[in-house]
Amino acid sequence: MVAAIALVAAAGLWALAAHELWRSSVPGGLPLPRVDPHRFFSSSFLRASASFDRFLEIDELLASVTLLAVLAAYAWRGHRLLRESAAGRIGSGILLGMLGFALVWLAQVPFGLAAVWWERRHGVSHEGYVASLFSSFFALGGRFLFVALALAIAMALAGALRRWWWLAAAPLFAGLALLSTFLSIYLIPNTHGLRDPTVAADARSLAVIERVPDTKVLEQTVSRSVTAPNAEAVGLGPTRRVVLWDTLLDGRFSRKEIRIVTAHELGHIAHGHLLRRVGWLALFLLPATALVALATRRRGGLARPEAVPLALLVFVALQLLTLPLWTLVSRHEETEADWSALQATHEPATARSLFARLATTSLSDPEPPAWAYVLYADHPTISQRIAMTQAWQKRAAGR
Amino acid sequence: MSEHPVRLVVTDDLARKRLTVGFRLILVIPHSIWLGIWSVGAFFAALANWTATLVVGRPPEGLHRFLSLYVKYATHVYSYLYLAADPYPQFDGRPGYPVDVEIAVPERQRRLTVAFRLLLALPALLLVASLFGAPSAGYNRLGSGRGGGTFYYAFGVAHIAAILGWFAALAARRMPRGLRDAVAWGVAYGAQLWAYLLVLTSRYPDCDPEVLLGELPSRDDPIAMRIDDDLRRSRLTVFFRLLLAFPHLVWLTLWAVLAFLVAIANWLATLVRGESPEALHRFLAAYVRYQTHVYAFILLVVNPFPGFVGRADSYPAELEVAARARQNRWTVAFRLLLALPAWLAASAYGSVLWTVAFLAWFAALVTGRMPRSLRNAGAHALRYTAQVNGYTFLLTDAYPYTGPCRMPGLTALAPASTPALVD
Repeated sequence: MVAAIALVAAAGLWALAAHELWRSSVPGGLPLPRVDPHRFFSSSFLRASASFDRFLEIDELLASVTLLAVLAAYAWRGHRLLRESAAGRIGSGILLGMLGFALVWLAQVPFGLAAVWWERRHGVSHEGYVASLFSSFFALGGRFLFVALALAIAMALAGALRRWWWLAAAPLFAGLALLSTFLSIYLIPNTHGLRDPTVAADARSLAVIERVPDTKVLEQTVSRSVTAPNAEAVGLGPTRRVVLWDTLLDGRFSRKEIRIVTAHELGHIAHGHLLRRVGWLALFLLPATALVALATRRRGGLARPEAVPLALLVFVALQLLTLPLWTLVSRHEETEADWSALQATHEPATARSLFARLATTSLSDPEPPAWAYVLYADHPTISQRIAMTQAWQKRAAGR
Repeated sequence: MSEHPVRLVVTDDLARKRLTVGFRLILVIPHSIWLGIWSVGAFFAALANWTATLVVGRPPEGLHRFLSLYVKYATHVYSYLYLAADPYPQFDGRPGYPVDVEIAVPERQRRLTVAFRLLLALPALLLVASLFGAPSAGYNRLGSGRGGGTFYYAFGVAHIAAILGWFAALAARRMPRGLRDAVAWGVAYGAQLWAYLLVLTSRYPDCDPEVLLGELPSRDDPIAMRIDDDLRRSRLTVFFRLLLAFPHLVWLTLWAVLAFLVAIANWLATLVRGESPEALHRFLAAYVRYQTHVYAFILLVVNPFPGFVGRADSYPAELEVAARARQNRWTVAFRLLLALPAWLAASAYGSVLWTVAFLAWFAALVTGRMPRSLRNAGAHALRYTAQVNGYTFLLTDAYPYTGPCRMPGLTALAPASTPALVD
């Protein structure tokens, strides 16, 4: 009875926190007009972008299925690899964790190469196959570090707190995510100050308008391997930055369009999306770690290295199962950032042309099918974004 | 496994004459000229030998004898130059020199390995560059300007041992055994490689010092290594070895920062008390042990993933560190200066270690086993590196032993019937 009450209370608190995190500055019930993509894009582009995106989405779907299959097999037989370790309880757990992801990497190599082939074929990327293989291999090293740290913490806590380790682990991991968000700017290579003084001046004035005047805007050189334009907001407090890819600043986009992108990223910072993302992560981690603890009980709990392969499977499966929720949250934040950019620039026509151009340069399908939208769309569709500009314009005219 | 058909025989008594040591480089000039002339003849003889062996499947007696003499003579000259032996060598490669090589009589060889001999020798050529030294080429790019090729001479273990031995022999009229054996290791491997390249034998060069030098000295060093390894390697962990070591490398770096500070404290304390404080000795011993475990894992000397705390008796490449003992304060005061020669040799051994690991990575990935010779060469190099670290961190005042020595757990070759030898 007490447990049931505690569970209900916890669920209530969880829902309350989720409600708070869901708050948005976009007016509630804002009607989005129906946008016909044929008004903005040619039929040939719509066909090409649909084909381009479908291949990548199916490739990713197959990669995810492979991931689950490999981890399922690993959960069944992975404990045999314990004989490759002389590292004690936690060290052996770390080894099994890393080897699980190593096997996943091996199994996913064909899908990664297929994606590179497809992007090269469509001129979206000119990264070489070997370079792509090497960069993913060394990125695996970074993942190993992360897995090692996470397992060291979880297994140490499981050794000390037994069944209740997850109660301490979830907030601890959320704290680490906070730290990682804070430090993320230092992990982005090839960044420097904006070279174009007009773009820099625009960025400064937009930061003032969006009430984040201390935010610096940087440029990242990526054009050696990528042609698609992009930008991102990173960091927290004193480390918060907006990073614009040099592919956005290479002359293909007008000054006004760059202003929209900058305002959008500043919008993420102004509305605390990075901090909120950590909040969402904490909300995910609490039930996820509890389920991992529950699932690994049969193997003696996460304190034992034999339980690590199963823990990996459960955790990754939960991540995949909640993918639609993560993309929903992401789309919600991107919508708010779009709204914020419109409020800051008052340039709906420029925003429309920008979104159309972003679609054409990235070969992005303006209206993906529902399954792809639910699983993989971390931004609103191009049609939705264009509709948003029209809704903003109508609302501004009505004031 | 039978004995290698190319075998080094060392009868040197370590005594050296200061006069010939001091002028060794000049004294060797006539031999260098003669060796150069002989090399031209050997080149054409080798071509003829290669063709004949390819046709009849066995080196002709005359060519084999001539090329064997050439390898023996080169071995004498290099041993003399690198101070592995003292007497001035004869010019005809006749037997009896204190560092001599014995080469078995011609035997049948597989034509396929003869045909691709040069290609097959590439891994051994890589290894000889680190054990003995070799001309190397590299590419450098200066600033934003155009890059260019550079040629340089890579110093191997034998070179470094010879340079250090020169000073030691001048001072003491004796070549330290460790340095002599380090030179002999490189010379012997070079002789086996040349015999292989010149198609005198089809047996691949074996870099295990016990195979090359025969019985190794047994030592009772305060820092010693023990290997407990069955040569099995997991292909999965071999393939991802470097990435799997990332957490260890990060941890080792963090630990190194602390160890550096502790080492300073230990230096001061040992200088004052003449003995390391127990807690500091224990901490630094654990650090050096952990470092050895991590390197042994990365460099494929052993198979399992190591623990993170450097606990004693926890790993198949175990470093045994003796309890703290009194140390001479003078050697403590100038420890960094005294350790410089050892660090020089350790850097050469480091290159052996990485070359061994590079070659072993491919071998272990294909066969699921570590070649014994590579494992043993790596283990000897690692033991020396650990001794240098221990000496630097004041775990002992016993100077690191440069040459290969007997190590518990390293499989020795079973005695076998010795084939007839050319002398």
